[in-house]
Amino acid sequence: MSPVTHAPGWEWFYIGLYFFFGGVSAGAYFIGSLAEFFGGGRHRGISRAAFYIAFPILLVTPPLLIGDLGQPLRFWHLLFDARSGFPYVNLSSPMSVGSWALVLYGAMAFLSFLDNLVAEGKLDFAPFARVYGRVPRKVYAAVGSAAGFFIAGYTGVLLNVTARPLWALTDPLVGALFIASASSTGAAAIYLVMKWRRIHPGPELEEFERFDRIVKILEIALAIAIVIAAGKYAGVLFRGPYAVMFWGGAILLGTLVPLATNWYAHRPGRHVQSESAAILMACLVLLGGLLLRISLVQAGQL
Amino acid sequence: MPKGMFVDTTICIGCKACQVACKQWNVLPGEPADFRVDPAEKIPVAANFTGDSYDNTADLTGTNWRRVRFIEQFPENRVGGRWLISSDSCKHCNDAGCLNACPTGALVRTDLGNVVVRQDVCIGCKYCLPSCPFGVVAFSHLTGTARKCTLCDERIHNGLGTACAKACPTGSIAYGEVAELKKKADARLAKLKSLGHGKANIYGYKEAGGLNVFYLFNDAPSVYGQPEKPDVPQGRLVVSSAVTVAGAVAVGMAALVAFREQGQSGSEGEEVEK
Repeated sequence: MSPVTHAPGWEWFYIGLYFFFGGVSAGAYFIGSLAEFFGGGRHRGISRAAFYIAFPILLVTPPLLIGDLGQPLRFWHLLFDARSGFPYVNLSSPMSVGSWALVLYGAMAFLSFLDNLVAEGKLDFAPFARVYGRVPRKVYAAVGSAAGFFIAGYTGVLLNVTARPLWALTDPLVGALFIASASSTGAAAIYLVMKWRRIHPGPELEEFERFDRIVKILEIALAIAIVIAAGKYAGVLFRGPYAVMFWGGAILLGTLVPLATNWYAHRPGRHVQSESAAILMACLVLLGGLLLRISLVQAGQL
Repeated sequence: MPKGMFVDTTICIGCKACQVACKQWNVLPGEPADFRVDPAEKIPVAANFTGDSYDNTADLTGTNWRRVRFIEQFPENRVGGRWLISSDSCKHCNDAGCLNACPTGALVRTDLGNVVVRQDVCIGCKYCLPSCPFGVVAFSHLTGTARKCTLCDERIHNGLGTACAKACPTGSIAYGEVAELKKKADARLAKLKSLGHGKANIYGYKEAGGLNVFYLFNDAPSVYGQPEKPDVPQGRLVVSSAVTVAGAVAVGMAALVAFREQGQSGSEGEEVEK
């Protein structure tokens, strides 16, 4: 850690947005996979909604990643050696490993998306169902949740493993924070998709909300630990637009308000949360996740 | 045999011949004066004029690969003050953060130990910038790539020294075999110590795995704007990844607790689908 380092100059509308959309997609995907893995088929409403949203959201990310490059047409150098054309990976670079993880994850998300369409009869493609059905669902769920966790978390490791003071001092917590944030934003996205598709999941919604509460508490704990770890370099998070984004957006609107609303709706003697309130809360969670990424990515560059 | 440079800052006179030679050999353009309107200033002042002693680069950038730093140490009464002048550039670390971070293999180490950004391979992702603990690598908007000192790669592979060392009129920048340069540095350090310069020290023997371009300073490295303990960030990669995996496991446990609480077995669900 040294104060003389150069900031990369990553733009919030490229890298900040990529971290957010990548997190929502991966979070939704690993929640869907975990629900499938632990819940058998009981949570199929959740996993179907998750797999419907994961791939389309992921499609937003390549233009964001390529747009930030100084030489966008050379983006393929991330995967293949520029001279020999052979696949290339640098194991000490989270960006290099992450590029390959994105390819693997993209393939998984695409397969699950197709499986959804075929299973719901929206796409008539019998050979796919036959080939896809050969592998047990639990295998897809296990590989899918691993790939999703990787995409959600590697962006945090990528920030931590630099010499910029704020990112270096918060090492090794940002990866875990981004996974927690991906969980809550992914859950919010799944909830919105279920509402949009008019799926009313009944008792399994309770379990879904319980999961959501646990990860939000984890997220708050990690965010506070990060501020403490950053010491004097956390000062920027207490000033001006960064204070608004980090404390007001990511912490208050993104986690505390939805948590409090959820608890209030489930207080003894009452069992129904107003639907419009729940939809509003899901939107706030997504906004909070976006502001969390933008504030940490941009504050580390000041 | 690694080649490198020994920068003896105690005999640097701040003439900036090295900056000029670097720009000429590497065909780096000058920066036009940037007369931005600053409401705080009554007269137009170029925003990129540093006003910091004789420093005219302020930083190592995509077009300034060498920077002569001027540190003025003068007390209020101007008695007993001194100048510290140091010509700074890429250190060509043996454990190079930029090289570790590069996702494309654009950054390479040649057979002479120097670290080079291959300009036709670099995609301009800028990840090497925050990965350099010395703040050397910079992004050039002219080329859309990361750029830095190459240790005059094409010169040293053809038997010439670096352009900056060639131009240096006092011998402050010496080019050669790193092992030879270290002998020279040790002798010079011993001489300075014997003359009573107690704070004299060599910067770069152990930092970042050893620097192929190392320095003789007459004060603490931080006085010269160098990190006391340069942090090669990839040393933290394993722990950082492990804690992130632990975070994933924690979320996985949350899912297990949440989705399995009702005591139903997974097999029921399989039947639902069929």
